[in-house]
Amino acid sequence: MARVITVAVVDDDRMLRDGLRAWLDGVPDLRLVATAATVAELLADPGRYGDPQRAPADVVLLDLVLRDGSDPADNIRRLLRTGSRVLMISTVPDRSRIIEAIRAGADGYLTKDHDLPTLVCAVKDLAEGRGAHSMELAFACAYDDSPARPRLSPRERQILLDYASGMTLKSAARRAGITVHTAKDYLDRVKAKYQQAGRPTYTKLDLALRVREDSLDGG
Amino acid sequence: MRSGTDRAQSFLIVATLLYRGSHLTVAVMAVAHRPWHPPLQHLGLAAALGLSALTYGTALRRGRFDRRHIWADILVTGCVLPLALCAWGGVREPPTIAWAMLLGGSATATAAIALDRLHALVVVALLVLTHFIGYQAVDATPAVVVGHLNSLVSSAVMTYAFRWYLLRQGRLLDEANARALAAEAHKARYAERLEHHRALHDTVLATLTTLAAGTVDANAPEVRQRCAREAAYLRRLIQQTAEETPHREIGAALEEAVGSVESLGLRVTAQYHALPQVPPEAAAALGHAVREALNNVRRHAGTGHAYLTATADPDGGGGAVVTVVDRGPGFDPARCEPGLGLRGSVHGRMTEAGGRATVDTAPGEGVRVELRWPG
Repeated sequence: MARVITVAVVDDDRMLRDGLRAWLDGVPDLRLVATAATVAELLADPGRYGDPQRAPADVVLLDLVLRDGSDPADNIRRLLRTGSRVLMISTVPDRSRIIEAIRAGADGYLTKDHDLPTLVCAVKDLAEGRGAHSMELAFACAYDDSPARPRLSPRERQILLDYASGMTLKSAARRAGITVHTAKDYLDRVKAKYQQAGRPTYTKLDLALRVREDSLDGG
Repeated sequence: MRSGTDRAQSFLIVATLLYRGSHLTVAVMAVAHRPWHPPLQHLGLAAALGLSALTYGTALRRGRFDRRHIWADILVTGCVLPLALCAWGGVREPPTIAWAMLLGGSATATAAIALDRLHALVVVALLVLTHFIGYQAVDATPAVVVGHLNSLVSSAVMTYAFRWYLLRQGRLLDEANARALAAEAHKARYAERLEHHRALHDTVLATLTTLAAGTVDANAPEVRQRCAREAAYLRRLIQQTAEETPHREIGAALEEAVGSVESLGLRVTAQYHALPQVPPEAAAALGHAVREALNNVRRHAGTGHAYLTATADPDGGGGAVVTVVDRGPGFDPARCEPGLGLRGSVHGRMTEAGGRATVDTAPGEGVRVELRWPG
């Protein structure tokens, strides 16, 4: 049997934290080890993060916008430094913020209206080192019109668009005439491009080139 | 609609063209009635006609004068022509060169509306000077000279006053129009907000109030279903109003379609992005086709869940792309005749409105309906 995956939740809504606790209590392979209203509060938690002897949670579910006004990208980087992987959650898909979060290194994004199996599946994917994909994340990338967006190949774009429309990865792969495995590779690659583009090696020259390409595309 | 200042500009062009036209008529008659005139008279007239055609023709086409044409007309028709006629025109008497002098009046009039104030003053001074020299050379009486110079100056002053007044009126009209448009947009936004408030009142607010009163079991399946439906409505509302778009034809049509199937128990996950502006009949066709496609999901997919996306065409072109997807059993498109819903209502309705519908499916793979407008 697989080892138990540890999960922490950072959300400023207590009701939602309690709800997730109740939900995850019933899942055999997951254990909720810490909840907090802010990232600072979580990292100061003596039960898990204050003690260097104890490992941080495998996966942190992080609310996209916290009421303490902290910067989502900053929150993500702080959590990544502890060794956790980060799955973003939010009530409404705020696309520019989703893109920012992926650039900052978050591994997945879900809206809060998904059912428990979808959430558990995403957490397991992340804990096992795979990328978690969702329709709303694909949609945010597919319709990202910011000048800093990475360049996607036609195939990557097609899979992204089809997956963003709600098709299963299997159906999107069939439509494109490729295997599910390859289709998932494409989605992983898109996310990797965003994460790479989020790194500071991104120069102003790159940005200027991208803006020029955009105006050529639009013309 | 053209702006008020553009219309004022066009009016000034036509007015000065008519003025020049009257002068040219006099010139043609003067030259034609004296066939014994030397060729210089004919050449001068041809030059004046050609330059006028160039200056006013271009201005009519472009909606404004080309300054180079104005200067060419002033220098050739206004300055060189009268002096040349005096020097080499042969007959040295005032009436013979009067037609050329007359053209100076329409030249200063046009300069006063096409050039800035300083340049217009220079032009008037230049013409007054050359025409004074010209009339002196043919020994015109002071009355003729003063009368002519007066007409040169007053033509410029008059058109300058017209220009000032008309452009000011045009600007005021433009400002009033902009204010009216803004007020209309504001009114439309207000009406939209009221409509949203009414919908929120009847749904979310009513549900929350009932839950807060503790009179119903919040865990009862029908209460949870209702909460999920209303949360989905709020999500769509936020997506639709995230971008401040004055047009909401597609959004309203889709909302109606989603609302109609949600009340029958279908869950719809909707994602919208940059909904484009389309004519009302295209929005109605999209709404109708989406409703049929969603009904198809409800009847045949067996999952109780549909995915709806609506966006501007990602390949550009200003069109709309709407997809309705389910993760049900699908069907074999080669063997299975698609239901009347897909073939009749969805295809028929989209084609009628100048759009297109494509259905993609395979056994075990769900159904994807894509609607495009224009097709």
